[in-house]
Amino acid sequence: MTDTPEEIGERIALLLPRLRRFARSLSRNQHDADDLVQTAVERAWRHLDQLKPGANLASWMFGIMKNAWLDNLRTQRRRAEVALPEDSGEHPAISPVDTEASLWAVSEAMNKLPEEQRLAIALVLVEGMSYKEASAVLEIPMGTLTSRLARGRTALAAELTDEVRGDIA
Amino acid sequence: MKYDDETLMAYADGELEPARRSEIEAAIAADPRLALRVEEHRALRARMASAFSRVLDQPVPERLDDAARAGTRAATPGRGNVLQFPARSARTPSPPWRAREWFAMAASLLLGVLLSWRVLVPVNSEVFEAGNGGLLARGELARALESQLASEQNGDERVLIGLTFQAHDGAYCRSFVLRAARTAGLACRAGSEWQIPATDSTLAPAGAMQQAGSILPPSILRIIEARMEGAALDAEGEKNARLEAWDPKR
Repeated sequence: MTDTPEEIGERIALLLPRLRRFARSLSRNQHDADDLVQTAVERAWRHLDQLKPGANLASWMFGIMKNAWLDNLRTQRRRAEVALPEDSGEHPAISPVDTEASLWAVSEAMNKLPEEQRLAIALVLVEGMSYKEASAVLEIPMGTLTSRLARGRTALAAELTDEVRGDIA
Repeated sequence: MKYDDETLMAYADGELEPARRSEIEAAIAADPRLALRVEEHRALRARMASAFSRVLDQPVPERLDDAARAGTRAATPGRGNVLQFPARSARTPSPPWRAREWFAMAASLLLGVLLSWRVLVPVNSEVFEAGNGGLLARGELARALESQLASEQNGDERVLIGLTFQAHDGAYCRSFVLRAARTAGLACRAGSEWQIPATDSTLAPAGAMQQAGSILPPSILRIIEARMEGAALDAEGEKNARLEAWDPKR
């Protein structure tokens, strides 16, 4: 089955809301998230010949996004090592779309997790993927996914409990 | 039976095989600590999903839509063609908050306050009465606490009894769910009254209510966990406690 470029464009466009949500769960604000989506979509078009016939376009796009995000982090880290500590290349966490306190709190807590745990949490808890789908996107065995997911959850729960403890008492 | 966290997590995520699932369900019904851990997994998942779900409702920026359809403008996708991608938007500083954002912030704070207020103040006044030592059970709630056995419920009772256990001071406590008011709570026997130390009206509209023990909100489960001495009573223990008229000294 070969789709025309128009059809592929349409299908990628339909995925944009989910791609933006996935990117938002990996980034500290929507602006950085949208930059990430754009990078991933551009990459997808450049490497369209690698999309196997019959493969799931959504899984493929999520996988590209994961790689783009990890590449970005690596670049930022390298840049931070060279110099310029105040220019992390990221926007501050508070932007107008983040006025909802709950999104902000959850996003900040996510940001403290190690990368591999953040990816597992983002795909399963935020995107609602099954363990099988998520491990396929991340290219890791199921057992690895579940242990990352469990560790990520523990850390996230601890982070979020600290933050609410104040208003329960 | 011990269950590790990954098993309980997989159960909460609906990832277990049916046989394993019913095994865990039975264990949860008997042990509120397991129920609490499962509920915590579910609560975290719900919180994560709902926090990010609003991204889906936002309009997609034009630059992304353009990028998604970029291949459309090239004769064929990839393969040597130069694709024209829209320019990345310049990094502009975030505009200051306008009235709308401040209003949204205030509204979400108010919502939080209302939600926590609802946790403390029960909605259905016919089944609660304010006494000296706090809330007391009345009406159909009092009747259910007095006479209903969790082991003999068929699931369509208006009040569902969950776990029955003894608190550290020996008093019997029972968790309950008021189905119509979507309120869960804990009642502990004091003299001839059922005192209500906690209620929570934030119950999700769960379809299957057959396992009153496994649908308790985390706030109630935490209180149960803090008060419970030993394990929850089984069907036999529950029946005997009723025979003793909920007085452990008899």
